[in-house]
Amino acid sequence: MSTATLHSATHVHGHEEPSGWKKYLWSLDHKIIGLQYLFTSLAFLFIGGGMALLLRWQLAYPSTQVMPSGDVGNPISLPFINPQFYNALFTMHATVMVFLVVMPLLIGAFGNYLIPLKIGAGDMAFPLVNELSYWVYLLSGFVMLAGFFVAGGAAAGGWTSYAPLSSVAAYNGTKLGQTLWATGIFINGLASIMGAFNYITTIVNMRAPGMGFFRLPLTVWALFITAFLLLLAVPVLSAAGAMLILDLNFGTSFFNPAKGGQPLLWQHLFWFFGHPEVYILILPAMGMASDVLSIFSRKPVFGYKAMVFAMFAIGFLGFIVWGHHMFVSGMNLVLSAAFGVSTMVIAVPSAIKTFNWLGTIWGGSIRFTSAMLNALAFVAMFVIGGFSGIFMASTPVNIFVHHTYFIVAHFHYVLFGGSIFAIFASIYTWYPKMFGRMLDETLGKIHFVLTFVFFNLCFFPMHNVGLGGMMRRIADPTAYEHLRALQPINQFITLAAIGLGFSQFIFLWNFFRSLKHGAPAGNNPWEGTTLEWTVASPPGHGNFAVTPTVYRGAYDYSVPGHPRDFIMQNEPPTSESIHGAAPVRRSVPTG
Amino acid sequence: MLSSAQAEIRQTSVWWLPRNVTMFGHEIDFIFYVILILTGVTAVAVFSVMVYFIVKYRAKPGVSAVHSHGNNTLEVIWTGIPVFIFLALAIYGNEQWTQMRLKTPPADALPVAVIGEQFGWNVRYPGADGKLAKMTASSVTKENPFGVDPADPAGLDDFTTYGELVFPVDRAIRLYLGSKDVIHAFYVPEFRLYQDMVPGRIYDFVWLKAEQTGQFQLACNQLCGQGHYKMFGKLSVVPQGEYETWAKGKAPQPTAAKETSTVPVVMAGR
Repeated sequence: MSTATLHSATHVHGHEEPSGWKKYLWSLDHKIIGLQYLFTSLAFLFIGGGMALLLRWQLAYPSTQVMPSGDVGNPISLPFINPQFYNALFTMHATVMVFLVVMPLLIGAFGNYLIPLKIGAGDMAFPLVNELSYWVYLLSGFVMLAGFFVAGGAAAGGWTSYAPLSSVAAYNGTKLGQTLWATGIFINGLASIMGAFNYITTIVNMRAPGMGFFRLPLTVWALFITAFLLLLAVPVLSAAGAMLILDLNFGTSFFNPAKGGQPLLWQHLFWFFGHPEVYILILPAMGMASDVLSIFSRKPVFGYKAMVFAMFAIGFLGFIVWGHHMFVSGMNLVLSAAFGVSTMVIAVPSAIKTFNWLGTIWGGSIRFTSAMLNALAFVAMFVIGGFSGIFMASTPVNIFVHHTYFIVAHFHYVLFGGSIFAIFASIYTWYPKMFGRMLDETLGKIHFVLTFVFFNLCFFPMHNVGLGGMMRRIADPTAYEHLRALQPINQFITLAAIGLGFSQFIFLWNFFRSLKHGAPAGNNPWEGTTLEWTVASPPGHGNFAVTPTVYRGAYDYSVPGHPRDFIMQNEPPTSESIHGAAPVRRSVPTG
Repeated sequence: MLSSAQAEIRQTSVWWLPRNVTMFGHEIDFIFYVILILTGVTAVAVFSVMVYFIVKYRAKPGVSAVHSHGNNTLEVIWTGIPVFIFLALAIYGNEQWTQMRLKTPPADALPVAVIGEQFGWNVRYPGADGKLAKMTASSVTKENPFGVDPADPAGLDDFTTYGELVFPVDRAIRLYLGSKDVIHAFYVPEFRLYQDMVPGRIYDFVWLKAEQTGQFQLACNQLCGQGHYKMFGKLSVVPQGEYETWAKGKAPQPTAAKETSTVPVVMAGR
């Protein structure tokens, strides 16, 4: 890229790129910020995963178990995992995975990196706010994890922090840790809100000429809708967190019935955030997986508009289903029935998306890259996770399976089987763009197969122990006579979890080794059509030397009569004259 | 005899549901199996199609992909069918939910109050009059876990236990569920029953009828603190005569003095 074009790009979005290591601290470039999010959240992924392995070890070999000899403590247990620490571990495992791993990976890392590149913009609308959101996010992580090092330990009331256990220090014994948790959630919310309005402004105002809304790749659509969910849902959690801090430290009693508060108020506030949050964690994954499936099937996304409308439907319905977390809380029983109906209805757009993914690979010319394998796994695992959700959506069945390991299986199928597989698919797809080098395909496939097999061995049997009556959030299943027969299954799950955890080191090795030793990627290694593939890998500061003009939708793959099986979005129509005419798209989706 | 009996330890089919012993459990299991069959058949179909496509449409030299942007007829079909199925499930489920939760329990139901606390169960049974003292959630205190008026004549013959429940078989039981401190939950998998017990409220809408006798474990299934993992109680379903013998052996405790907690309450960081 010449100095002249660099200058013009800089001029467009008005900031200079710091040099050397400094750019990883102070760069306002959306790509560097995206990478900061990527590296930080991957580090948190390993921290959260390590916590999961400790949890699993305790469940298989509890330190509290009374052995036939009369000794307390299983001979191969980890004695430092006492019940209180166990409660803190699962609380922080979920908090880390939701707020510090999956949200920042999907939205912080890929949202930042891909939105400007895919819409043909030089950067985000508010680069300084963007960088600030990263630092605020990092701070929130430190505040949350600081709980482990204060008197009483980290918050131990579950990531849902139901009051009054969470809001009365005498009940939880972790006043400081719980306060840090709520403070961390509040700070994390600020980062989400900053990111969300930045994304919305960018997508509305900074699309390249010709990039109509219905020419946007589904990744951008998904992040756009997700940003609205963030803006509407996160402030509610922040407010609830602030109320929790006040209850714990300043003598208010929003949630303590002993002083006139309402425990169910916390649940309504939390789940009013918490259910849209579920879709915040899956919509971007759906969008990116759609794009990956399309690229490697060499086909347009099947039913593009249906996919967009399904995401709108999910976004809207996501706000009126929160009560299904509270069927058995004792809230108004007729209300439960209403939430039961809306919850069943929200399954429909998810079904539409699944069928369209199948339609996308139908008739394709499928390239089985590591990215594609992970995207296919995303679809399959999302199907299982979606189906297990139907059991809980049925109010009578929920009376039986609520808070058992059945639901632990369910949300891991959606969050790991869904979101994390989609994240792997996205990393394998866009790593070459981010770093200019290819990941090793052999290592990638070994990583995929091991992750897929161990994931299912680990999480599928959780359905069974849940139906068998095993509660979630208990530090020692062997304390229960009715669960002792299930203990071999718990030990099996733990072994699979260890396999799953250690398989990720293959990914880590591949990731860091390829930074230097990967094959050079070139601009467009996957022969994609969208704008990020038109520029260098990694793209220079300012992204586009000249603002691109968009002439077609994002999915012109395998267009008959064209010499290549992909047409870039900025490729002018060849058969028609473009002289004096507005950009037109040659291939109009019928969907 | 009752107090020493151990809850059932299943030796067979540990991968599946435990036996169901309650009346409503039949409906719950029925809906469970309906959903299992629907989702199971659909999952097999979806995965078969997926595997078929993956094999058939793998990249082959000289064969290019079909250029298709979608098909509106298909979109209508695969939107309409799930709408129909999911609405049917919701309507049928709501009908059963109404039966279980919104209908008044039978008038002859045996009332039993269970008030959770960190980390145990205060249980209150009616005496010969078959009536519990009137309970008020706002009167629940450490000393008065059931929130009763000690002068209430209906409560003079009530008796209490700590962590021990005995239900007569084939008789409706109406539960009064509450909590002294944090949220607990009444959970017995063989009863297909979970219900949160929220402090500041006493829920009176849960009722059940056990159809088989046996020893079960009552488990708290809402995280309630450090001792949550061993907040369990004994639950026996016995013939009516055996229940009456057991109840007669209990001394009335109108003021609801409670026994010492069996679980040491040790809080970290206080």
